[in-house]
Amino acid sequence: MTNELVTKQKWFWAWQDEKEEAWLAEMAQQGLHLNDVPFPGSYQFKNGEPADYVYRLDYQSLKTKDKDSYLQLFADSGWEQVGEMGGWVYFRYKIDHGEAPEIYSDRESKIGKYQRILTFLAILLPLMVVMMPNIGGAEGYGPFFIILEALAFAIMILLSFGIIQLVRRINQLKKTD
Amino acid sequence: MEDKPITKHLPLTEATYYILLALVTPKHGYAVMQDAEEISQGTIRLAPGTLYGAFTTLENNKLISMVGKEGRRKIYQITETGIRVLLGQIQRMEIMLQSAAKNFDLWQERTAEEESHD
Repeated sequence: MTNELVTKQKWFWAWQDEKEEAWLAEMAQQGLHLNDVPFPGSYQFKNGEPADYVYRLDYQSLKTKDKDSYLQLFADSGWEQVGEMGGWVYFRYKIDHGEAPEIYSDRESKIGKYQRILTFLAILLPLMVVMMPNIGGAEGYGPFFIILEALAFAIMILLSFGIIQLVRRINQLKKTD
Repeated sequence: MEDKPITKHLPLTEATYYILLALVTPKHGYAVMQDAEEISQGTIRLAPGTLYGAFTTLENNKLISMVGKEGRRKIYQITETGIRVLLGQIQRMEIMLQSAAKNFDLWQERTAEEESHD
């Protein structure tokens, strides 16, 4: 390993976790191994030998007192933690003999993860709705005010889209075994 | 009888059943993972995310409690209520097994065959 650090910018929405996992595994096959996620959308890799890794992202709101034992459980099971960002925890597992490791072994707990993400987004939406009329204060309808309103509106559309995607994912999972 | 509080937890899923059974003696998470696979004869494999979620739920429902720490690992054990739930589940499974023995011809034939081989 050269210990050289490579940074890549890529954006994944909250409902694109499987896409993100696949991309990180692809990077590993090219010799780029995730080292840290310093900012949302920014991935820091260590340059090294191509290797077969499975990456899995968990979503948790961990209390400080629970975090240690949570990470230790994953470590004991062979999952290496390689970063975290706003509730997302990045794990990887080295493949030696054709294993197909997962962090969720049943449908219910996997659905639980997406419900946690959904809850987070669902809380943001009414927050935005409440905030919208207040943006700009008593300034009226100046151009700055209009831009802020448009931005808030765009964020609400995005959140709604995300919520729909997650609900679809959850329903898909409910239908499978 | 104190049966009312426990029936709301029944029936247990297979995974929950084996987790409670494993925690009759105190263990940390990974030990439960290994134990559950062994005592279920390989039918139950628990991934860490699933197990963590199960511990959280079981602790909230007071069926298990944390009884100590081993470094960064939490050690859990089944509670009194948990034991009653476990016994309730085993009772249900006994009835299920007996119903197969009495009403399922294929099961009767197979067990008769196995007994004649012994």
